[in-house]
Order: sequence, then structure tokens, then C-alpha cells
Amino acid sequence: MAHIPDGFLSAPVIVGTTAVSAIALSIAVRRSRLRLEEREAPLLGAATAFVFAAQMLNFPLGAGTSAHLLGAVLVAVLVGPWSGMLVMFAVLLVQSLLFQDGGIAALGANTLNVAVIAVGVGFLLYRWVLALVGAGSRRRVVAAGVAAFLSANFVGIAVAVELAVSDTVPLIPALVAVGGGHLLVGIGEGVLTGAILAMLLRSRPELVTTGATTSAAVRGWAYSAALASAVLAVVAVYMASARPDVLEGAAERLGIADSAGSYLTAPFANYVAPVGGAWIAAVLGVGLIFLVVWIFARVGARRRAQV
Amino acid sequence: MSFHHLDQYATISSPVTRAVPAVRVLGTATLACGAALLPLGAWVPLLVLFAVVVLVGGLARLPLTAVLARMSGPAVFVLLASAGLLFLVPGEPVARLGPVAVSDAGFERFTFVLGRAVVALGAAVILVSTTTFPQLLQAFRQLRMPNVVTTALALAYRLVYLLVDEMERLQRAAKSRNAGAGRATRRRLLVSVTAAGLSRAFARGERTHRAMLARGYRGEAESLDATRWELRQSLMLGTMVLFVASIVVLAHARP
Repeated sequence: MAHIPDGFLSAPVIVGTTAVSAIALSIAVRRSRLRLEEREAPLLGAATAFVFAAQMLNFPLGAGTSAHLLGAVLVAVLVGPWSGMLVMFAVLLVQSLLFQDGGIAALGANTLNVAVIAVGVGFLLYRWVLALVGAGSRRRVVAAGVAAFLSANFVGIAVAVELAVSDTVPLIPALVAVGGGHLLVGIGEGVLTGAILAMLLRSRPELVTTGATTSAAVRGWAYSAALASAVLAVVAVYMASARPDVLEGAAERLGIADSAGSYLTAPFANYVAPVGGAWIAAVLGVGLIFLVVWIFARVGARRRAQV
Repeated sequence: MSFHHLDQYATISSPVTRAVPAVRVLGTATLACGAALLPLGAWVPLLVLFAVVVLVGGLARLPLTAVLARMSGPAVFVLLASAGLLFLVPGEPVARLGPVAVSDAGFERFTFVLGRAVVALGAAVILVSTTTFPQLLQAFRQLRMPNVVTTALALAYRLVYLLVDEMERLQRAAKSRNAGAGRATRRRLLVSVTAAGLSRAFARGERTHRAMLARGYRGEAESLDATRWELRQSLMLGTMVLFVASIVVLAHARP
């Protein structure tokens, strides 16, 4: 996951992210002590050592590339989100001071991205997916994988926004470059997190205690949030701007827009359904995306169960 | 596996290694933050900060080749990370690299970001070359970092060598039993090794903690090497903070 080096962020972003991270970590220190009590030191020491060690193991991806585990959601699932934040902060601190991996002045921003957002948002997503699908072993594996994938993407967006607010790179190119990279990182992270959690659930299930059960109230909230997200997505698709995007605009200015052709006629071209117009196109589009993701999740859960 | 090669210059007697570790950490953070807070294009203040880094490196009696060698790895990463600025920042095109144009604003930002990163990297390399890991932990404790973080770091420092060695052994054993296996099998093996490493890390952490409790550990790790703050070192640090702060303020105040 992106560790921002020194020199990329502006003074307000450095000060702001450091303040937010400090507040989040001070809450994490108190909540972690309440949850783990006397087990806190050995658990966090072991988890910190594991994240260091795991980040040194590279997994072959093919085409000469490899990836390593980042571990934010995995650690959150094992030791809880507050302790997970402290673990990732400890790792970041040593990486920036000993290995110059991530800047010293940018430590606040990196802590916000990797310790607070990746762990905190990742754990919330994990609990959300668990509340939606139930808390069986296979479902926990899928929930952790999905949460790890999404949390990596949230980190990519956060890094892009920080770079844009610092006036280092404009927002759209930053989102494309950093967010695009994290999309790929997220896929690897999701698969690795799910696979390692599946192995742990078989060999030492007592280690994975977080999020074992969900109450009816929590499940109700989770479904409400899912419904609200779907409604928001439909409204967002319906209200999408009809103006040309950057590429179409450039093509118009260059006078080559008319030369564009298509090899396949899309059923909902320009986000308009043949019957019902934009509303139906929005509802069908969002529904289709949910269906594709659901099928992937089911197939993933079955495959992991067979491993 | 060991990080001891990082400590080979930490025993050289110098004004830097004689300073309290917390002063070294704060001095490094001051230089890194000072460089990061400079406005775009403030080359003269950046060169002054670079001169301070060179001066501190000289005082620490570090070989230049060692500093450059330690800086080279992270510097390559910074170079790759900042290369995109050449093309992504809008401005007047000044050169073309294949299908993409390098803009003037992009080139200015790229060079200044590199300059800021070199100052911060130099300061960090001097810190890590003059300070052992236990001294860093002592510095964190002196700086009132939460006990849970310093204890976790201390335990992780004890465990990480063992854990990496163990995972490497597991990996070698798995490879030797599956020689010639395809990429998918290797991936599965690595996942098993990582999960086994995690499981063993927790088991070892619990054993270590029980041993610590048996020896009288009550939540506070005591250090035998308790170097004390001296007024002279506080004055030196205060002077450096004031100097860097005034450079940053002057750089922002320029017309």
C-alpha cells in the first residue's frame, strides 16, 4: 500500500493528517487496553512481528510481478480494530525511521491511510458484510477478502485526495494513477487475506474471535445501509452529467469526435434504457453490478471451502 | 536474518552518538518536517537545510559512501514515485518522451519534490546509522509514546528475527518437497507458510509474555541504558528547531 515519501505533501495536509491520526491513535490506545487487558503486549508484539515478516514474503503473480501481504484487515480481524491500528502504526513507525519506507514528515498521513483508514474502514466493511451474510467460517473468509479489497481502494482514494489537496498532482490524474494501482493491490490483498484467514480458521480457529456473532439489530442496520447505498448509487447514476468527459472533450476540440465508432451496440447507450429511460437504466445497472459481485462472492466462498 | 548491519556505525564516538536518542529523533523529525514545509521553488532554504544535514553527517563521522549506499534504495523509490509528476501536472510542454509531454510546472515540481525527499532521507539515514533499535525504543519512551506501542515494538524486535528465519525454513522445506510444482501450487504453499508463521508468532508471543511475567514484568519495560537529558543537548536541539523554523518562515514570507 502506498507509503507517501517526504516532499509530496503540503504543510496544511501534514498538520491536518497528523492531528487526525494522533486523535485516532489516542482513542485506540484506550480502547485496545480495555479490550485486551493483560494480553495486550504479547498479542500486539506478535502481530507487529508477523506483519513485518509477512511483508517480506513475495507471492508470484505472473508476468514477472509479485505482491506481498499488507495485513491491515487480517490484523484487525485477529486482534480487533483498535489494537490493529496500533500494530500498523508501530510497523509504519519502524518502516519510516529504519527503512525510510514512507516519509518522517508524512508519517501522520501514512498513519491515517494505513493504520486508521485501512484498518478502521476495513474492519467496518468486514462487520458490515458479516452482518449481511451471516457469520459462518466461509462467510468470514469472504467478508475479510471483500473488506481487504475495498479498504485498499479506500487507501488509494485517500492518498490521491491528499496529493491533490497538497497541490502536488491534480485530483483526476492522481485518482487514475494511485487509485488504479490500488485497485490491483486490493485484488491481491483480498485474495491473500481470505486465503490466510481460511487456513487459520482450520488450524487455529480460537485466534479468530472477532465478529463471530451479529445481533438482529446489527443485521437490520447493515441491510438498511446496503439499501441506502443502492438508492444512492441509483440516484448517482441517474444524475450523471450528460456533458462530455475529458477524453470526449479533447476529441471534440481536436475535431475527431465524429470518427468514433463502436463494434457493439450497447443495450443502455448513454445510460438510457430503451424502455423507461434513465431511471430504469440506473436501476438495472446497479442491480447488475450487485448480481455480478454476489456471484463472485458465492464462487469465492465455495472455492475456499474446497481448499 | 538480522538487522545488525544497520548498527555498525552506531558505536563510533561522535557528538551525534553521544546525544540522547530522543534528541536525535527530534532533530531528524525537525529537519524532515522543515524540508517538507518549504514552499515550492524555495531552493535556497532547501540548500541551507541540505547543508545542515551534511554538517550533521560529518559530525557523526559517517562514511559518505555508506550514507549514499543507504540512501540509494529509498531514493530510487522516491524517483519512481515522483516521475509521474513530470507528465501529470498541467503546464507548458518543454520536452516530449515518446507519446507524453513533460510540462514546465511538472518538471519544477518533480525536481523540488526530489530535493525535499533527499534532505529528509539524508536526515533519516543519519539517525538510523547512529542509533540502535533499543536506543530508538528508549527515545520513544522518553518522548512519552504510549507504553503499549513501545512494548509491542520491543517484543516485535525480539520475535521478528526468529519469525523470519522460521518462515524462510518453512518455505525452503515446502519448496524442496514440491520441486517443479507450478505457480498455483507455490502460491498455495506460501499462503500455508504465512498462516503457519502467524499462528507460531502468536504462540511465541504468549510464551514470551508468560516468561516476562514470571521475571516480574508489570507492564513497564525497564532499560539499563537510561541516558539522561542534559541542558546542553536541550539547548542544541532548541537552537536547531529555531533555526529550521526561521528558515521555513522566511521561505514563506518571501515575495
